[in-house]
Amino acid sequence: MSAPPEQVTITIDDRSVSVPKGTGLVESALQAGIEIPVFCYEPRLGPPLGACRMCLVEIEGLPKLQAACTLSAQDGMVVRTSATSAQAADGQEGVLEFILLNHPLDCPDCDKGGECPLQDLTLRYGPGTSRMVVQKRTFDKPIPISPLIALDRERCILCYRCTRFSEQVAEDGQLVALNRGASSIIATFEDEPYRAHFSGNVIDLCPVGALTSTVYRFRARPWEIQNVPTVCAMCPVGCNVWATTREGKVARVLARNHPEVDGGWLCDKGRFAHDHLRAADRLTEPIRRIRMRGLVAVPWEEALDAADEGLRAAGASVCVAFSGGETVEQADALSRLVRQGLGADVALLPDDPDPALDAFRAPLAAIRSANVCLVVGDEPVLERAPIVDLWLRAARRGGAEVVTVGPAGAIAAPPGSAAAICAALAASSPPEELRELARDLREADRVALVWSGDDDTGGRHLAGLAAALELGEGSGAYFLPRTPNGRGVAQAWRAAGDGRGIDPSGDEALGALIVSGDEALRDTRVVALADRARFVLTTAMFMNEAAGQSHVILPGTGYLERDGTVVNLEGRSQRLRRTVEPPGWDELAFFAQLARRFGVDVDPWTRAGVDELAALPARSGTAPVVAAPAARGPQRAAGAGGDFELVRYRALFSGAAVERVPQLAFQRPAAEVELPGGDASRLHIATGERVVLRSGEVSRELAARVNRRLAPGVARVAEEHADGLADSVRIEKA
Amino acid sequence: MQNPFEGAKGFAVTLGQIFRKPITQQYPEYKRPVYPRFRGRHRLHRHENGLEKCVGCSLCAAACPSDCIRVVAAENSPGNRVSPGERYARIYEINLSRCIFCGYCELACPFDAITLGNEFELSEYSRDDLIYTKDMLLRPPTKTMPVADRDLYDTPDPVWKRES
Ligand code: SF4
Ligand code: SF4
Ligand code: SF4
Ligand code: SF4
Ligand code: FES
Repeated sequence: MSAPPEQVTITIDDRSVSVPKGTGLVESALQAGIEIPVFCYEPRLGPPLGACRMCLVEIEGLPKLQAACTLSAQDGMVVRTSATSAQAADGQEGVLEFILLNHPLDCPDCDKGGECPLQDLTLRYGPGTSRMVVQKRTFDKPIPISPLIALDRERCILCYRCTRFSEQVAEDGQLVALNRGASSIIATFEDEPYRAHFSGNVIDLCPVGALTSTVYRFRARPWEIQNVPTVCAMCPVGCNVWATTREGKVARVLARNHPEVDGGWLCDKGRFAHDHLRAADRLTEPIRRIRMRGLVAVPWEEALDAADEGLRAAGASVCVAFSGGETVEQADALSRLVRQGLGADVALLPDDPDPALDAFRAPLAAIRSANVCLVVGDEPVLERAPIVDLWLRAARRGGAEVVTVGPAGAIAAPPGSAAAICAALAASSPPEELRELARDLREADRVALVWSGDDDTGGRHLAGLAAALELGEGSGAYFLPRTPNGRGVAQAWRAAGDGRGIDPSGDEALGALIVSGDEALRDTRVVALADRARFVLTTAMFMNEAAGQSHVILPGTGYLERDGTVVNLEGRSQRLRRTVEPPGWDELAFFAQLARRFGVDVDPWTRAGVDELAALPARSGTAPVVAAPAARGPQRAAGAGGDFELVRYRALFSGAAVERVPQLAFQRPAAEVELPGGDASRLHIATGERVVLRSGEVSRELAARVNRRLAPGVARVAEEHADGLADSVRIEKA
Repeated sequence: MQNPFEGAKGFAVTLGQIFRKPITQQYPEYKRPVYPRFRGRHRLHRHENGLEKCVGCSLCAAACPSDCIRVVAAENSPGNRVSPGERYARIYEINLSRCIFCGYCELACPFDAITLGNEFELSEYSRDDLIYTKDMLLRPPTKTMPVADRDLYDTPDPVWKRES
């Protein structure tokens, strides 16, 4: 650890303030309670650019006004802002007059109006009138740079925040500035749609209404909304968000910077998928299957009676399938109903992270300051926990060595080999290709380890490696669960009983199956179980998926309609706040009532669940949990005929919620298969060509995409396009 | 009562009134002209080319002290152009049972899209009927109210207008 930085004292507007050396002038002024207005300055975007000149200040000893955002505090500096310096005030007024020269000032039309830094700063620092008499520059507007973002070039003040984000934070490089001088414009590269996982952040960053969200477009004004601080429960990162509501509906989701978790960035799923709450096929009433009449909407009490009856008939032969999106409280109520009320003991947990890793817990932000980051596992981090990918990129920019070992990694490894790699790296004499990495890991001060794969035992393997490396302060190890609250759900299930272990993997009839949530309904294992169950109780938000085999369907809630706790991948408990009212009872109320009928008192309005979780019993050896699919065997070399090992990944833009937001359709994974460069050229397959994937009787036709980073003999497909395909496939040109 | 004439004096005053012309106005048969700047029911206006002046910016709603304006905006499309610019008011409602006729909405509007007219006969049998929708506000008023002569009553140009 380095020594605390030296303090310097500077004077700003006759107030003296002492800050660590190297602190920017804008932050130093803020510490003294003085605001220096800025447009382009945003420390999260890397080094300051000094593009807008809004931050002009007078510095004693320098002949001209200086851009404060580009300077750092030096001992003895005397700074005068526009509050005490007429020269600075005049300069800022001039800057604003220039910025407004070509600005349309169509504030009444503009979505930013009312929360626009340009409006605010013009009012405070700008000239009262304009001297511009000639025609202003005009452009076509709005230009949809993607189905999610509308660009208004007239309003753009060329602060380059958006392009800097694209280039230096998300590193997608798709948003660029074209031309020079007065004809500079922001554009996407080659006018392609801006298709990237984090594109929505440029809307937050833009200090004017030049980049606006098409989803939020014209929906509300800043004085007509309420912002609810909550947490995104769409992936295991758990970014902190503001949910904006107007007239009882969620209008948009904004980042609420949590410097340890998300650093103020959101992925597009979290930002734009909220409209699924208002999908046309949303269930609002309980539905019951009635003989000869099919599925009929019934009152809540009747649904409760039907569920009671169905579960009583099943006795202890009950299995519950979780989605991993439930809050801890919901999972707790359901677990206690099943384990304590019904005496049953079987659950399908989407995730069951090994608690061994808790010893190496660290905030996600620790990744950024690591010297060496190691990512193992088959799934792309970006698709599983997108913000982690941003932290890894930040680490790489900061000079860290970021190494991916896996089917698409810098060090190629066959699918399913992550555990073996952890063991090899922990061993005293690692194999040749890992030797250098092992040495770096051992020598590094701070290490970040990330497991990005479906194997629940990953935590244990990673913990083994972490222990061998003797990770200390500043290092962290992270297991990326598959589902948003998979970790909290598993904990709640464990806390509710001691587990006697009944494996539902047999084929005898099951008394009853409780399916909790839409994601569970899509699980093929759950569908298979439902075939064997005499009674199926489902909670689901959307009809078409729930109908299938259920006997009672309860309308489910979305995460924005829930109050409760979620546990993110770091193990951090975060509070979900109810943003809008659900259409009916929420699951918690229903299951609490149902539990009461079976003699279990679940008080849905206390946080008992969370308190119990804090004193979590250690994981017992006989976990009554269906094991995750076993790790795959060693890789077979790609046969001459084109035999490939298939790696599936769950795309971020997939799932019931994303499918219901038309604006997100373009973000969903294309129907394509990624092939390694060597194999593709051997089979004469080029990107874009149609290929057929065959395994046994099943065949699928997809477009090919050559990915030179894939290990030989590995083909990668998004889960939703790999239906029915086995782990090894034969690929040929169509 | 000490002095009996005191009572008679009072009667005399009353008696005198009987032969005066009454000042009672026979509303609704007779409608007294309102002052030119009277603030009555709102109207929304159109441009000469038929497009609505209102762009649905909600500034009137922000200014309204009794919070009785509701604006829900939407985007103009080539097939459905309602106002100039990008935005128009898909829903525009004023709850006249809450309105205090202060005229702030008129002051706030950047496009002079909303003004307070001189219609004041707004009674209804149901409160719901007092929620005026955009169509009702855009329509020319069905009742015409007599307005007093501007030259007699209107205030001269305000100072800020005279000096600029
Ligand atoms: S960007 Fe700001 S100043 Fe420009 S039109 Fe929009 S609200 Fe007005
Ligand atoms: S679009 Fe917005 S963020 Fe990008 S340069 Fe223009 S004003 Fe800045
Ligand atoms: S006149 Fe006053 S109270 Fe009535 S709608 Fe306008 S702003 Fe609101
Ligand atoms: S009436 Fe005027 S202030 Fe009100 S929404 Fe329409 S344009 Fe805006
Ligand atoms: S904020 Fe300093 S130049 Fe833009």
